[in-house]
Amino acid sequence: MIDIARFKPKTVYVIFIASTPEKIWAALTAPEFSTAYFFGSAIEIEPKQGGAFVMRKPDGTIDVSGAVVEWSPPRRLAVTWGVRWLPQMRDLPDCLVSYDIEQAGDSVRLTMTEAHQWDVPDALLSGGRAGWPAILSSLKSLLETGKPLAIKMQPPREMLEALAALKR
Amino acid sequence: MDAVFKALADSSRRELLDRLRAENGQTLGELCERLATSGIGMSRQAVSKHLAILEEANLVATVKRGREKLHYLNPVPIHEIAERWIGKFEEARLQALSALKKNLEKRHE
Repeated sequence: MIDIARFKPKTVYVIFIASTPEKIWAALTAPEFSTAYFFGSAIEIEPKQGGAFVMRKPDGTIDVSGAVVEWSPPRRLAVTWGVRWLPQMRDLPDCLVSYDIEQAGDSVRLTMTEAHQWDVPDALLSGGRAGWPAILSSLKSLLETGKPLAIKMQPPREMLEALAALKR
Repeated sequence: MDAVFKALADSSRRELLDRLRAENGQTLGELCERLATSGIGMSRQAVSKHLAILEEANLVATVKRGREKLHYLNPVPIHEIAERWIGKFEEARLQALSALKKNLEKRHE
């Protein structure tokens, strides 16, 4: 069992979605949704605490992998999160990504928290800080209109430079 | 969206967002201390009020950790505004213009 208290939140994003907690839960955990809003990656997740978790790219390679830390549908999902698709990031300590889903009036508040167990430099957080708003906006658009947003993105240069510096 | 523009229409609140951008996850006390250190006069009550308005507009997200309340910049509503008026085709051109502006301004410094 991992010690959640060691992880400090570094990035916290909140989005309001006109939907239901159950639909948001389904969108977070089913590949037919994730491929639409998560840069094409399909989620594979074992629906239980301790279960395996993978985001797989369209070419079959692993984008992200980890384990389920909390599986409480439709309120809270937490997974350890290791970025595998960038070779320079494979050896970094996993972070903890959690989604909290709460009814807020006739809308639903979805909170994404990225927490780290080490003193991660800001430049390394820039990847998530560029990616998450696009992912969450696209998820919202998918649930509200049936269409995701078409967003193309490259890893930020400052993150790649910081990774290169870590190697040295 | 009205709440976002109203929240942004105040230089003190934009200053607070800049502070969180530079260092995410600060407590009210840390924000006040650092503002005072850099000679910006804002009372604790004023900072607290501005943070509440920013949180109401969903530009700031908070996390309770033990007895502390940590504040995080939430750029998602700004991203939604950008998505609404800046299409994916314009983005590359706008980035090029913004890089050009930065370079030209640097040369004049």
